Amino acid sequence: MPVEMLRDWIPVALSADLPAATVLPAHTPSGILALWRSASGKLTALADRCPHRGMRLSYGFVRGEALSCIYHGWSYGQTGQCLRIPAHPELAPPGAIKAASYAVEERNGVIWIAFEPPEAPPPSLEGFQPVRSITVNMDAGAITPNGTVRTQLAGVDVLLIVAGIGDRETIAHVMVDAAASATDRIAVSNAVEGWRRTCEQLGLKELAS
Amino acid sequence: MILYDYILSPDAYKVRLLAALVGVKLELRAVDVHPGREHQSEPLRALNPAGSIPILIDGDLILTESAAMLVYLARRAAAEWLGGDDAVDAARVQQWLAFSRRLTEHLGGARATEMLLEPGDLPAMQRASTIDLRELEAALSERRILGQSHLAADRPTIADIACFPYVALAPDGGVSLDPYPSIRLWMRAIRMLPGFIEMPGIHRLHDLKPEPVSPAMPETV
Repeated sequence: MPVEMLRDWIPVALSADLPAATVLPAHTPSGILALWRSASGKLTALADRCPHRGMRLSYGFVRGEALSCIYHGWSYGQTGQCLRIPAHPELAPPGAIKAASYAVEERNGVIWIAFEPPEAPPPSLEGFQPVRSITVNMDAGAITPNGTVRTQLAGVDVLLIVAGIGDRETIAHVMVDAAASATDRIAVSNAVEGWRRTCEQLGLKELAS
Repeated sequence: MILYDYILSPDAYKVRLLAALVGVKLELRAVDVHPGREHQSEPLRALNPAGSIPILIDGDLILTESAAMLVYLARRAAAEWLGGDDAVDAARVQQWLAFSRRLTEHLGGARATEMLLEPGDLPAMQRASTIDLRELEAALSERRILGQSHLAADRPTIADIACFPYVALAPDGGVSLDPYPSIRLWMRAIRMLPGFIEMPGIHRLHDLKPEPVSPAMPETV
């Protein structure tokens, strides 16, 4: 992928989909990260690979302020530094045992990550609220050239925040007006299924604005 | 109550799981499905001509469909697991019980082909699984907008238990669950239930228990 893309914020998940003390696999154009929120609410994005045996850290679990690997329980803090090795409780883990960590920002219900810290914060999306995230089996570039789609679904104005996450795989975060009712959000949530089917069946470029 | 059981069968696990959650003691009879194919032996065919597992026996009652077993256990021991009584709630539970057959066919078929080397059209079953998972994700997303975490009521019901195992084991059939945030949270809610039990491939939530304190042992070199 182009180097300048690596400096951009990538929208990976909705805040509501990552409650306190949970972890999820965040898909990006450059691979998967272990995105987790500590018990006190702090967000961290780590390389999805335990430095010990290579197990995916996104299969792990969050206890307190640390992410633990499901394999042997090695736990990691916000910097990615290994904090504890359960089989060697007396050992202070060496500084070299560290998972790479990346920039994370959360704004208006959307979580963004960046591989290189960008100069500007991610877009604020003021006035919108998230409905849900969906994955579309289609290249992001065939949906929209600029990462966003504005359209109407079920008669409601919708903003889709779109990012390619792989070959023929795109994540779309569905946003509606911050004042939209639960009824409208449910209608949009269902209608976006049809939008996705249309995208996948026809690859209609005119769906993008 | 006797359950003819196989540790790797998601349908048998549904029954063991609900029994554990509602506090019913089952007498388990382990069936040598692999490699013995004991489920297709004459003694078991006499109980269940289809030759499938699980089989639940209680007195004169013989059940061979896991959805019926869930209904029976709930009605015997914990009626709140049946969901609401009105027409909409009752139908919604039945809808998901029937939907769980699709999961058995598609996700279960993909798993049997990919993991257990049964014959089958893996790509076709994976495509059908994606349609099922998207339908489940959409339904759970709608429930979340309404402030609810479960499929058919404001509490867990047999609808959730019927759908949970094959979904949780989707990766065994080469079907990723990464694209489904609402399914992820729903599975977490089920695994948080008091009395939850595991099966191979579906582990408990380690984070629900405090960090174990290792006994001080001499370091070995």
